[in-house]
Amino acid sequence: MGRMRHLLFWAHTFFHSWRYICTEEFVALLLALFVFMMPVAATTRFETRGLFMHTTEPGATTSYTVTLRFMSPEQVGSVDLLFCNDPIPYMPCAVPTGLDVSQATLTSQSGETGFSIYSKTQNHIILTRTPTSPTFPSESSYTFSGIKNPTDTSQAFSIRMKSLTSTDGTGPLIDFGSVRGQVETGIMIQTQVPPMLIFCAAQQVDDNCNGTDETYYRDMGTLSPTDTLTAQSQMAVGTNASQGFVVTANGPPMAAGTSVINSPTLPTESQPGTNQFGINLVENTVPAVGGNPEGTWANAIPSADYAIPNKYKYISGDVVAYSPNVSLMRKFTVSYILNSSKDLRAGVYTTTITLIASGRF
Amino acid sequence: MKRIKSLVLAVFAVLLSVTYVLPPTQVAADSSSALGIAPKKNYVIEPGNSVQDTLNITNLDESTPLHLTLRVIDFSFTGNGGTPKLFLDPNTPQTTWSLRSYLKVPETVTIDPGKSKQIDLNVAIPKGHGAGSYYSAVVYSSGSGQGGNIGLNASGVTLVFVNIPGKVKEDLKFTHLGAYDRSAQGDLDGYHYFNTQAPDTIAYTLKNNGNVVEAPAGNITLRDIFGRTTTINELNPSGSLALIGQERTFMTCIKLKPEDVKLGGTTTKSTTCDNSGLWPGYYSVSADLFYGQNGNLTQEVTKVGGFWYLPWWFIGVVIVVLAVGGFYGWRTYNKLRNKFYGPRVAKTKSARRK
Repeated sequence: MGRMRHLLFWAHTFFHSWRYICTEEFVALLLALFVFMMPVAATTRFETRGLFMHTTEPGATTSYTVTLRFMSPEQVGSVDLLFCNDPIPYMPCAVPTGLDVSQATLTSQSGETGFSIYSKTQNHIILTRTPTSPTFPSESSYTFSGIKNPTDTSQAFSIRMKSLTSTDGTGPLIDFGSVRGQVETGIMIQTQVPPMLIFCAAQQVDDNCNGTDETYYRDMGTLSPTDTLTAQSQMAVGTNASQGFVVTANGPPMAAGTSVINSPTLPTESQPGTNQFGINLVENTVPAVGGNPEGTWANAIPSADYAIPNKYKYISGDVVAYSPNVSLMRKFTVSYILNSSKDLRAGVYTTTITLIASGRF
Repeated sequence: MKRIKSLVLAVFAVLLSVTYVLPPTQVAADSSSALGIAPKKNYVIEPGNSVQDTLNITNLDESTPLHLTLRVIDFSFTGNGGTPKLFLDPNTPQTTWSLRSYLKVPETVTIDPGKSKQIDLNVAIPKGHGAGSYYSAVVYSSGSGQGGNIGLNASGVTLVFVNIPGKVKEDLKFTHLGAYDRSAQGDLDGYHYFNTQAPDTIAYTLKNNGNVVEAPAGNITLRDIFGRTTTINELNPSGSLALIGQERTFMTCIKLKPEDVKLGGTTTKSTTCDNSGLWPGYYSVSADLFYGQNGNLTQEVTKVGGFWYLPWWFIGVVIVVLAVGGFYGWRTYNKLRNKFYGPRVAKTKSARRK
C-alpha cells in the first residue's frame, strides 16, 4: 500500500511540472508550425483537370487532349499518365477493357512544354523533359493521337496523373490528380443490354402477362351509407433493367358531374357512411377484398402506404408498387373500396385509373 | 309547333336523366394490355444532327392484338430516388430540359398477338442548340375502361435522355453520406447513424446544380476503429442518374453479389447486396467522387461521414460486462478504502446531532 501511495505522489508531481512547460503559448506555437510547415512537404492536386476525347466511339482509335494546371513550384521533369478504371491513385489499377495507348504519339502541347514520350505501355505513358520549374499560371494541355478507346460503355475510366522531379517517372511526386472519360456507342448509347419492361393490367392477368381477361372496367354496384362497395383488378410487372421499375396510379377521384367522392390522403380504414374512395395492394379483411403480391421476386413490393391491410388511400400520381433493381414478373392485386354518406348526391360515380409502369433513372 | 318543341325538350330531358342515373353500358374491350417495352433510351447528339432509332414493342398477349396510342410528355423527379414524375397533363408547359419539340414517334400502333413491332423514333437537335442534358418520356397507353364505376387503363413509359456535347455547367454538391436503409428509396430519412442491424448499403446524396444529368465515379472507403479498411469501387452499380436540379441519393452495396437474370429470353446482369460481414463498432466513411463530361473539366468532390453498428446482442454483452466490471470495481474500491481509512462506522444519533 505504501508503494502505491508513493507512485501516486510521484505521478502527481511529474505531471504538475508540465503545467509550466506546456503553456498555451507553447501549444499555439506547435499548431502554427503544423499549419505553415506541413504544406511545404505536401503534394497538391492539379487544378483545372480535363479530358477531351475526340471520338467517344468504343474501340475507335482517336486522340485525347489532357488539360491540367501545375500547382507546385518544384521543378517538373516528368509527367506520369496511368489509365485505370478507378480514379483513386492508391487503389489497384484495373486496365479499362479494350484500351491501348501503346501506339500513342504526343502531337501537340501548350503551357508547360518541352515534353516527349519517355515510355508507353498498354495503359501507361510517361512524359519527360529537362527538369524545369513551371511558370505560373501554368495551365497546360497535351494531345496524344493513336489511342485506342476502351470498349466498355457501362463504366467510366480515368487517367491518374502525377508530376515528378525525376525525368523517368520515378521518385517522389509533386502534384497529382485524375481525369475521367467514358466511351459511348456512336450517337446512341444503349445503357442496358437488352432493357425490357413488361407490364399488363386488367381485372385478371396471367402471372407472366401472356393473357388477361380483357376486362378494363368494373361496376361496383349501388352506393349505400351502410355498405362498402369493393372491386379489384390485377397487374403484373417485371424488368431486367438494373434500376428497377415503378408503377404509379393516376386519375381523378370518383365523381358524378361536380359531385366528388374524395380519397383519404393517408392510409385510412374503410368507414361506411362517409364519402371515401381508396385503394391498396394487399389482402384485406375489412372489407374482404384483394390479395397479397404473388411471385418469387420479393424485391418488387407495394409502396408502404398501399401495403397496410384494411387501410386505404388514393392520391393521383402516387407510386403504388416498385422495385429498386432487377425484378422479374410479380403480380399485384389492386383493391378498390367505395363508401358514401347518406347526403351524397345521387348519380353514377365513375373514374378511370391509369396504371403507368416506367423504368427508374 | 310549340307542342313539338316541348315534346323534343321533354324527351331530351328524360334521356339526359337516364344517362346520368343509369350505369354506363359496359363495352367489351378488344385490345390487349400486355406490353413489353424498353424502359430507357440514351443518345448523344451533336447540334444539327438527328437520330433515327427504333422502339421495340412486344404484345405479350397471345390471343388479342395490342392497340397503343403514343405521346411524348415531360418528366422530372420525385424525391431523392430514381422515380420519374410524369407530367401527364397535355397542357403542362414544357420543361427547360424538354425534348418534346425534337422527339417524334407515331401516334398509334397495333401489334398482333404474341408479336413484336419496331416503331420509328426520331430525335433531331437543331443547329446551334446549347449543350447539356435533355429528357422526355414516351407514354404507350393500352386497354381503356369503357363502362362501370372504375375504368382501368394500362400504360408503359420509355424515358428518353439526350446528351448534347459541348461546354456544360456541372456542379455537384455532397449533402449526405453514410449507412442507409434501402427501403427508404432515396429519402434522406433512410440514413442511420446508429444501426442495430448490420448495414449492407452505403449511400451518398448529391445535389445537381448543373444543366446536365450526372453519374459520378470514384470510390468509398470504410474504416473501422482498428484501422481496417473496406473499399467500395462500384459507386453506382445500377448507373443511376442525378437529374437537373435533383438532390439524388445513390446507393451501393458494401459487398456486391452479381447474378445472371433471364427475362424475355435474354440474360442480363443484376447485382444485390451480400452480407457485409461488419463487426460491431464505429465506422468512418470517406467518399472521393469524380464527375465531368467529355471535353469539360473533371471535378472531384469528397466527404467524410460515419456510423455506428451496435447490434442488440452486442449492447447486451456490453451492459453485462459493465455491470460485472462495476460490481467488482465497487468491491475493490470498498476493500481499498477500508484498508486505507478503516471500516465505515455507522454514525450514532449524538454524532449526527453534532
